Amino acid sequence: MASQFTREWSGIQQFPAATQDKLLELLGRLKEKKKDKLTILVMGKGAVGKSSTVNSIIGERVVTTGAFQSEAPRPTMVSRERSGFTLNIIDTPGIVEAGYINDQALEIIKRFLLNKTIDVLLYVDRLDAYRVDTLDLQVVKAITKSFGQEIWRRVIVVFTHAQLSPLDCLSYDEFLAKRSESLLKVVHSGARFKKQDIQFLAKRSESLLKVVHSGARFKKQDIQNISIPVGLVENSGRCKKNENDEKILPNGTAWIPSIVETITKVALTETKGIVVDQKLIDGPDPNDKWKLFIPLILAFQVFFVAQPILRAIKNDVDKEVKPSWA
Amino acid sequence: MEWDSAIPCCHSRQAARIAGKTKGEEKGQVDNPCNGQGGVGKSSTVNSIIGERVVTTSAFQSEAPRPTMVSRERSGFTLNIIDTPGFVEAGYINDQALEIIKRFLLNKTIDVLLYVDRLDAYRVDTLDLQVVKAITKSFGQEIWRRAIVVFTHAQLSPPDCLTYDEFLAKRSESLLKVVHNGARFKKQDIQNISIPVGLVENSGRCKKNENDEKILPNGTAWIPSIVETITKVALAETKGIVVDQKLIDGPDPNDKWKLFIPLILAFQVFFVAQPILRAIKNDVDKEVKPSWA
Repeated sequence: MASQFTREWSGIQQFPAATQDKLLELLGRLKEKKKDKLTILVMGKGAVGKSSTVNSIIGERVVTTGAFQSEAPRPTMVSRERSGFTLNIIDTPGIVEAGYINDQALEIIKRFLLNKTIDVLLYVDRLDAYRVDTLDLQVVKAITKSFGQEIWRRVIVVFTHAQLSPLDCLSYDEFLAKRSESLLKVVHSGARFKKQDIQFLAKRSESLLKVVHSGARFKKQDIQNISIPVGLVENSGRCKKNENDEKILPNGTAWIPSIVETITKVALTETKGIVVDQKLIDGPDPNDKWKLFIPLILAFQVFFVAQPILRAIKNDVDKEVKPSWA
Repeated sequence: MEWDSAIPCCHSRQAARIAGKTKGEEKGQVDNPCNGQGGVGKSSTVNSIIGERVVTTSAFQSEAPRPTMVSRERSGFTLNIIDTPGFVEAGYINDQALEIIKRFLLNKTIDVLLYVDRLDAYRVDTLDLQVVKAITKSFGQEIWRRAIVVFTHAQLSPPDCLTYDEFLAKRSESLLKVVHNGARFKKQDIQNISIPVGLVENSGRCKKNENDEKILPNGTAWIPSIVETITKVALAETKGIVVDQKLIDGPDPNDKWKLFIPLILAFQVFFVAQPILRAIKNDVDKEVKPSWA
């Protein structure tokens, strides 16, 4: 259940000292820029590790996770406060179920988010998945349709199960690059980026972003301004640790401060957060489109179509030769 | 082709023993098709069992579009493994891939079915049920008497609250529930059918024991273990599944109940048409003609 009041972010205490320091420094950076509230939305397919990621960042077991339980049916918002800074993380049910987009879950999520402002979207998927297919594209398109294209300016693609032993022929970084590339390609195709932008995105995270971009339908010139960051997460208790007792990835990075730093960067971008108002939820109203044309077309029909026809009829009536018997 | 494999010596002794056992039972060949979703490790498993890189595998390539059969021979014993494309694509059963698989198997006899899925997947949903149903529909219910559920990525660190064995038990249970459901076993049959579970770890980073055998987190050397399970299933009493044209075409709806047609026709002639005709005749006889006609 969502906590209705904001509790102290005590979970920070259980992180190792080095991690705590970095997190507090990042919070300080946010407050400097007058940002004392951060709302993070976590979305993705089912069973990828969204709830586990929320638990790891908060530092407590706030959301129930389980290997064999079905999805949490409702979104949950977890709020924590620390020295005047409020962190809201919204965990959502997976929007894909048994191969189909679960529209009902999407509706529930949208209604839950009414009148909230989304600062960061975490798009979560597993690092150790080996196929990217049209289902991912559908997920990206569904998110774009629900929240607008702009949300992809505030997205981080998060890969869970990041402590993986890659395949025999690839190094960890190569595998990560390829995995990112295939997912980003899907994003770009959903976003419909134009060609000159795609060339700009010839970096590692580009390929994954292609997927995101394609789902979000960005125009090409937009792509130059958009480069979607990639985050890595390992929620297992067996995650390796460095000498400071921080959880680290196979490439040596401590991932908790790393992802919070990426979140901070995205939160501080120039563009405004996504405000989820009723209009956004309802979507574009088909009755509104082009409605100014209605009187114009009507006038056109009256003057240029109806009148000539009436005149032609009048002519025919005048020219009529009446038969003798009538 | 000779079954030369780079497996450690005690493992190949085991394989030779198995070959001997099956030869003694007059089974010249063992056909094992592998089935499952895409990206689960079917081709990698085939490569591991054969001991060579016979089928192309890759993390990011799409499925092999066609089934491939790999045949190896050793001291008179022939092993055929048929690798198939995954027939789940983007959330849908790919009927075309299924058709291609069925046509490929025409006139072959299936001794063992390896149903492959990942051990480190955390949800079982209706998509898995559809896969099981599609297999049942294509090959008949009997194929599940010769099936082994194979879990790849078996060298996994389970989630924090479960031990490896607990996780394995839960994972097997949820998938087997779906198999029983999709195969539509009657309740009394379920007791006779116990589908064995096999574990596989195809990565080169698989841990090894002192004999240099690849082992799982619970200590078992998995290659001999799975070959033993395959042998057990292959030696089962029931016959292998012969894939003939009839099986591929499926039940002919025109055949069902067709003996009833003449019966129903006779019934209609004698018990329906006659009374009606008699009633009409009665009405005609009793008719009072009007004066003007």
